[in-house]
Amino acid sequence: MPMYGDLGNKLVQHAKRTQNLAHLPPYQTELVRAVTREVRDLDRDVAALLEPFQGSFDPAEHQATACTLLVNHLSMRRNKRCLLAYHRTRTDKLEELVWNGTDILDMAGAQQAGGPGAVSAPDGAAGSSSLSPQEEDYFRQYGDLLAAYKGHWTDIDLTGSLEPPRDLFIDVRVLKDAGEIQTEYGAINLTKNSQFYVRQGDVERLIAQGYLQKLG
Amino acid sequence: MDIDDILREVDPTFHSVPLEKRDLQELTRAWVAERSAPELLPWPSHGFFERINDNIKRQIERVEDMTGDMDPKTNFALIVIQTELERYRYLVRSYLRARLAKIDRHALHYLSTDELRARMSDVELAYATRHQALLHNHYLSSFLSSFPPNLQNLNDSAGINMVEAPDLDSAVFVRLLRDTLVTAKGVEDDDAVTVKADDILILRWSDAKPLVEAGSAELV
Repeated sequence: MPMYGDLGNKLVQHAKRTQNLAHLPPYQTELVRAVTREVRDLDRDVAALLEPFQGSFDPAEHQATACTLLVNHLSMRRNKRCLLAYHRTRTDKLEELVWNGTDILDMAGAQQAGGPGAVSAPDGAAGSSSLSPQEEDYFRQYGDLLAAYKGHWTDIDLTGSLEPPRDLFIDVRVLKDAGEIQTEYGAINLTKNSQFYVRQGDVERLIAQGYLQKLG
Repeated sequence: MDIDDILREVDPTFHSVPLEKRDLQELTRAWVAERSAPELLPWPSHGFFERINDNIKRQIERVEDMTGDMDPKTNFALIVIQTELERYRYLVRSYLRARLAKIDRHALHYLSTDELRARMSDVELAYATRHQALLHNHYLSSFLSSFPPNLQNLNDSAGINMVEAPDLDSAVFVRLLRDTLVTAKGVEDDDAVTVKADDILILRWSDAKPLVEAGSAELV
């Protein structure tokens, strides 16, 4: 027999697991719904318990009821915290993706290629995505927000590397064809497996996106 | 008039160091402090970052002017300037992102009082407000809206306070800038010692903060 809070616990475990994963596992639509339902049920119980007292409930007089109320009350809040924690962990991940400039559609594709079992969201007609529709909205909106903030610091490239720069020029190897890029020293054609000595600032984005690998 | 102004007045080297260099020093200090302090520090006033931004812009233009030149001498200078520029940019970027990380983590806390809001720049404030609104919206559309109305807030303080605040008791390293009597809370006993300038201490941030604000110590 499942107990109050079991489902919430599961959510938190999902959240904890998510923290250590490189990708975002599928959104637990059913679980979220069940926990929310539990909260609503508990709230209804509380209302039903209090109803006969007509607003003049005295905890000292009805200790057993008071105890039930307290447990219900705490369980609701606990469930809420579990839900918040679960969603916050996921939005943190999403924000990280926005900062890294990862394309959400790319990721959905990779997820699909990741094999069976990766997709379990039962209600998504667009079953390939591990995000809930709300999360996709959030992803887009946060992208806009970040772009707006970055707009104030155009000369800094806020999403650039957080490693202290050591050398102006670095050796890179091309992992995926990236086409031609323009630098101050002319155009470079980035074909797979070739190696270049380039200015770090010119290729930072390509490294972040996995086209290039920094050597040495 | 704030700490920086006072410090500047007592600094004998003040008028001999060029403005750009002082800006860089100040930026580096702000960067180090921001990265070690557990809570958000006040945004530097007196148009500091506007000036930093102008410096960067000027250097970028300089680089663009020099790029066409094929003379090896200019080429060498160009590399030096570009390297410096990259480092300068890194400082600003890392500084801004350290702040943003703190703001993201405790957004509701920093938005909760005017005193705390004043620590953010206008842009940061706008960002924090909007970000929090996005998050709340996301929670609402994901699950909160089907909660009973009295449970829909994000800032309940009955029972457990939902607004998390940074841990002001976490440890920081400070370097003393002048001889000072330092009082600090210990696990069992509180302690007070006289510390000489240039000594480095490890303290709780809550104990170190008054010293840093009074200009007797700096974070390292």
